[in-house]
Amino acid sequence: MRLRSTSPLAIPAVILVLIAAVIPLIVLSASVISGADVISIWSKSSVQRALIFSTWQALLSTALTICLGLPTTWFLSRYEFFGRQVFMALVTVTFVLPTVAVGAAFLALLPKGLHHSTMAIVVAHAFFNISIVVRTVGPRWNSVDDRLIDCAQTLGASPLHIWQSIILPLGKSAILSSAALTFFMCFTSYGIISILGGPGLATLDIEIYRRAVQLGDLSGAAILAVAQMLLIVTIFFIWSRGRTSELISFRSRTLNPQKLPLGPKCFLFGVAAFFVAPVLALIASSMRTGRSWSLTGWRVLLGIQNQKGIEIDTWQAMQTSAKYALIAAGIALPTGIAATYAFSHRQSANRQLSTLTILPLAISPVVIGLAILITYDFDPFDFRSSWLLIPIIHSAIALPFVIRAALPVVQGIPNDLRLAAATLGAGSWRRLLTVEIPLLRPAISTGFAFSLAMSLGEFGATSFLTRRESRTLPIIIAGLFGRAGEIPRATGMAASVVLILVTAMIVLSVDRKSYS
Amino acid sequence: MSLTITDVSFSYGERSILHDFSLEVAAGTTTAVVAPSGSGKSTLLRIVAGLLKPTTGTIILDDRNITNTPTHQRSVGMVFQDNQLFPHLNVHDNVAFGLKVSKMNQRDINSRCHELLELVGLGDVMRQSVATLSGGESKRVALARALAPSPRVLLLDEPLTGLDQELHDRLAQDLHQILHSTDTTALLVTHDLTEAEIISDSIHHLQ
Repeated sequence: MRLRSTSPLAIPAVILVLIAAVIPLIVLSASVISGADVISIWSKSSVQRALIFSTWQALLSTALTICLGLPTTWFLSRYEFFGRQVFMALVTVTFVLPTVAVGAAFLALLPKGLHHSTMAIVVAHAFFNISIVVRTVGPRWNSVDDRLIDCAQTLGASPLHIWQSIILPLGKSAILSSAALTFFMCFTSYGIISILGGPGLATLDIEIYRRAVQLGDLSGAAILAVAQMLLIVTIFFIWSRGRTSELISFRSRTLNPQKLPLGPKCFLFGVAAFFVAPVLALIASSMRTGRSWSLTGWRVLLGIQNQKGIEIDTWQAMQTSAKYALIAAGIALPTGIAATYAFSHRQSANRQLSTLTILPLAISPVVIGLAILITYDFDPFDFRSSWLLIPIIHSAIALPFVIRAALPVVQGIPNDLRLAAATLGAGSWRRLLTVEIPLLRPAISTGFAFSLAMSLGEFGATSFLTRRESRTLPIIIAGLFGRAGEIPRATGMAASVVLILVTAMIVLSVDRKSYS
Repeated sequence: MSLTITDVSFSYGERSILHDFSLEVAAGTTTAVVAPSGSGKSTLLRIVAGLLKPTTGTIILDDRNITNTPTHQRSVGMVFQDNQLFPHLNVHDNVAFGLKVSKMNQRDINSRCHELLELVGLGDVMRQSVATLSGGESKRVALARALAPSPRVLLLDEPLTGLDQELHDRLAQDLHQILHSTDTTALLVTHDLTEAEIISDSIHHLQ
């Protein structure tokens, strides 16, 4: 017996996704079909270069991410060791840090010769995406029974052979889906490339932005966006298949209390240093101008010192970022939690709706930004100038995070608990306030924190829709790094420190259980 | 191939699990160690297999001290209590696992798998997924897999646990026959004296 029908609860989420993604993407696709010269755009050398570079750097980034991510995942999913929780927190935080700020952090860390290089881009991508491997493959490997490995040993398998024949095959579908997702993230990378890219290092997303905003070639940008969308949908399809076509059932197991050997310890220490070093370098770099220590960057950022050529209103940008983040989280959280109740019932309609709500995350933010620009620019839907559009898009991008955080919790609440409360005389509102919400609290705080973090760091879609008077911190940072000179650079570093620390604190304030 | 366990002790921290345990299993025979749950039977097998290192004592396999030899170089086969069939491999590939490790050619692997599966009475499920097997079939596949690489000693950890009585008795008889027909040196640990009496040639009580 169910207390009430749950499907209507998905309606707000569906409307949000329709407004922020589905309708704009349909309009974008229609604009391409209706007349644009689909073929000629591909003959342009800048487009060909962007396509080749997008693919090439995404493949390299995926390879490095998998190489670093798989051993990290194995040790984290099998061993209990001192500092494991801190490591898991680092892994969680890196994934949601603002891309432009992380780009700045790698500028601070790497020697000048590598600043605008493929290597810098690839390394920064690995920084973000190791988290995907740990999150996707970790639960699978955690559930591999120790005795299965013992058994392989008794059959004569060496440690290398056990990796080849047991550990990798058992994680295969998860490894493939994490690789597909990493490739997708790197292929559609925009914030990182905006900071670490340069001549000859432009991805398709950068080319879409350049065509739409700098060259005014909206139809060319639209063709590239639709092509990219089709490619991403294909990759996404492979990814989601990997997630659902699991034939073997797995049980999670307790971690191995054995001591982590020295080699793995050193490896994990190296990965932790890889996560922390860019941020430390960023902090140091924000306090330097040229070759000397100086707080000029911070003074300019905080408006204590005026600098010719840098007209930024940091407080206004912080207020704007905070306002957008709070509104986005305010929309995403109730919408996402309500949808989670609908999706917790395994009906095929719910499954399809659940897939639909991942769409804003699955499509590149640049494509969404462009699609919105094209869609909402005529009466009576001329919302482009409305500032509310940006937090609405941010909330749609945050929606899948809220649903993912809440789904296991909602599914874990036994229906009998609700029935018990009902038999004790609790009406639906009282049940909601006294049973559901207290039990959902960890998911609510995780969803809220991730929505805030997502919105604070969002750069791709925002860069299309931002207005001079309502610029967010990532837009300000990208602008500062686009200027020549040491002081804009130091100011950009300082702004990146603020953004990274605020985001990290928000995510770390979440209940520890959600990332341990 | 004979197995000699001499003065083996093992403890987890302060807790002593085995204390100066000695046992000899003659070549081609099956010895059962019978003891109640929690008395260190499985620990003993894990030590012989090399999965645990004894605090003191030696393991000699056919005049060769293997106490410090890594598991994968010991040539011991083991049937685990809950089978531990590889879930991503079918029945044939489970049985072939140890043969592939020893780099046997594919034709020989196929004929050996066929031979072993026939021996355990499962010739017709070769390409089946292990997820579809019944409890009794899983036990037989685990036995075939452990026997396939012709181990120098076979270790059986409560191999018939969890089966209904009829199947249990039938498999115990089959196991006895298979171990004899293959002239395997085997060490069985169980809490079930009747099972030990059916399968083994000699019984050792562990206190």
